[in-house]
Amino acid sequence: MAATSPPISAPSPGVASVAGKPRRRRILDGLYPYGYIAPSIAFMAIASFFPIVFTVYISLTNYGQGHIISFDFVGLKNYVDIFTNFSFLRDFVDVFIFTIMFAAISTALCFAGGLVLAYLLNNENMWERNLYRTLLIIPWALPGTIAILAWQGIFADLFGLADTVLTHYLHLPDVFFLGDAVWARVVVFIVNFWLGYPFMMTACLGALQSVSPEVMQAAEIDGANAWQKFSRVTFPLLRAATLPLVISTFAFNLNNFGIVYFLTNGGPPIPGSSYAGSTDILATYTYKLALTARLYGLACAYGVLIFFIIGTLSSINMKLSGAFEEVD
Amino acid sequence: MIGPRDTIGEALPDARTAARGEARGLLRLRSRTKKHLRTDERVALWASRVVIILFLAAVLFPALWVVGTSFQGGLLFNSTNIIPTSFTLQHYRDLFANTSFLTWVRNSVIVCTSVGVVTVLLVATMAYAFSRFRFAGRKYGLMFLLLVQMFPAQMSFIAFYYLLIQIHLIDTLQGLILVLIGGQLPFNAWLFKGYIDSLPKDLEEAAYVDGATKLQAYIRVILPLTRPMMAVVFIFVWFGMYSEFLVSSWLLNSQGNFTMPLGLYGFINNQFLNNWTEFAAAAVLGTIPLMIVFLMAQRFLVAGLARGAVKG
Repeated sequence: MAATSPPISAPSPGVASVAGKPRRRRILDGLYPYGYIAPSIAFMAIASFFPIVFTVYISLTNYGQGHIISFDFVGLKNYVDIFTNFSFLRDFVDVFIFTIMFAAISTALCFAGGLVLAYLLNNENMWERNLYRTLLIIPWALPGTIAILAWQGIFADLFGLADTVLTHYLHLPDVFFLGDAVWARVVVFIVNFWLGYPFMMTACLGALQSVSPEVMQAAEIDGANAWQKFSRVTFPLLRAATLPLVISTFAFNLNNFGIVYFLTNGGPPIPGSSYAGSTDILATYTYKLALTARLYGLACAYGVLIFFIIGTLSSINMKLSGAFEEVD
Repeated sequence: MIGPRDTIGEALPDARTAARGEARGLLRLRSRTKKHLRTDERVALWASRVVIILFLAAVLFPALWVVGTSFQGGLLFNSTNIIPTSFTLQHYRDLFANTSFLTWVRNSVIVCTSVGVVTVLLVATMAYAFSRFRFAGRKYGLMFLLLVQMFPAQMSFIAFYYLLIQIHLIDTLQGLILVLIGGQLPFNAWLFKGYIDSLPKDLEEAAYVDGATKLQAYIRVILPLTRPMMAVVFIFVWFGMYSEFLVSSWLLNSQGNFTMPLGLYGFINNQFLNNWTEFAAAAVLGTIPLMIVFLMAQRFLVAGLARGAVKG
């Protein structure tokens, strides 16, 4: 960005050269850009800096159940607890594995689905493709929270759509979708696919439309069939454009609180575990620790760990995609 | 919800290239309408249509079922039909009679609009400085904006709660708006900066030649040109805030302050079955207007995201 368009040096209307300005004026000019940023910084201090510092601080204390009114500084005890206390460690391992699984599978499904749809839609002979695209985008156009809550009803026992179809139309045995450990996970994947594919489809469609038709014609002349054209020409070109997107969708899903919280609230509980459920991801598990167990210090320690995990992944992403190469 | 919008721009190719591609497509289409398709093209076309239509049916049916049950008469319990058998507006009447639906709408509109307007103003100002001026901390500031977004937002509530109690804004819409704005800035500042980067600097230089001050060049020349981006940011912030639940659920306690997601969440707390039809009615009323706006503006929104991410 900036490499090709270096910022303008401070303009000096009416004054021939910057060096000719009085000293006070020059200092003011130097401070000038900060005037544009200051109001935003103030709001970000409230919404971001303060909570981050506060969370790190609380993670070093025993604030929480039993220590609400007066709490003590305990150093790294909460972090040590996560990794040494057996029941915490078991919960952490269970939840961590599902978090990675959830993020990887969700991202892969959305990308694959979005790519296939974009590929099918990118057909010039299909005159009504804009209509399909608009209809396919609908899940993206609905407010997420309300949509996920509605899905809870769709998979609800007895009256839900899924149950009705299963028992009355297909005459299969009744399934307690949100109460069964395996089915609940399947439901989370289905709903997250439903919510996530339109975005991937839109991105892939944009990328596909920028593949020049000349390249395709060249491949055609060389005798490539449809699959070869896709796997050898289109996909490699697309991969470059969508890799950063896939990685950051993965990072987003690692912390995709809403889908789990509104659909299953982490449940059903894992037998023998105090707080973790089969569909809990780190984000919802942490929230439960804070909300139900009121172990604020421990929950904050988890929050800081999540911050590091996602931060690391995103730095790798930035390195790979070279997001900062042009910023100087 | 909207998906990881903080990233769409990175991968979307230049909107202009896309538009060019589309134009080329249209020209071809016109020249082809009279020409017959080859057999394999025809087969591929119809196979694609079948796949897309089946997929659409699977995707849209659950949504239509929700709409259907909101009009369904009689008891839903143990219903054996997935297609409504009778029509009633009773659930909608119940919704207005038994709940504070209109209050939720009002509160949501207040929160979303306030956060949207303030965010647009702040972001337009901050992005201009990052795009056009060189100053100490610029590069690290930009990186910091990205980093801050990685913080798990569900942990902020403890800090927000503490803060708002100190300044006596707990359980008020003002307090909620105050803490929500900051979180909207980082992503949108990047988007907006990308947009301003794409405006030629000659514009301001011409203004300086005409004797404008720096502030005048910004307010009179650049700001009016960023109106499309302002609209994109406003719409995305509005939609994002409309789904905001976590922070609101912690900071708002009184029924009179509930926003739409809080109100709707109340239905499922217990006895979802008894409340389902009313919930469905509320969901229909609460989503359809937004859906229409989003679908009408989709080309504009996607192009805006892509334009904001134009590199070089």
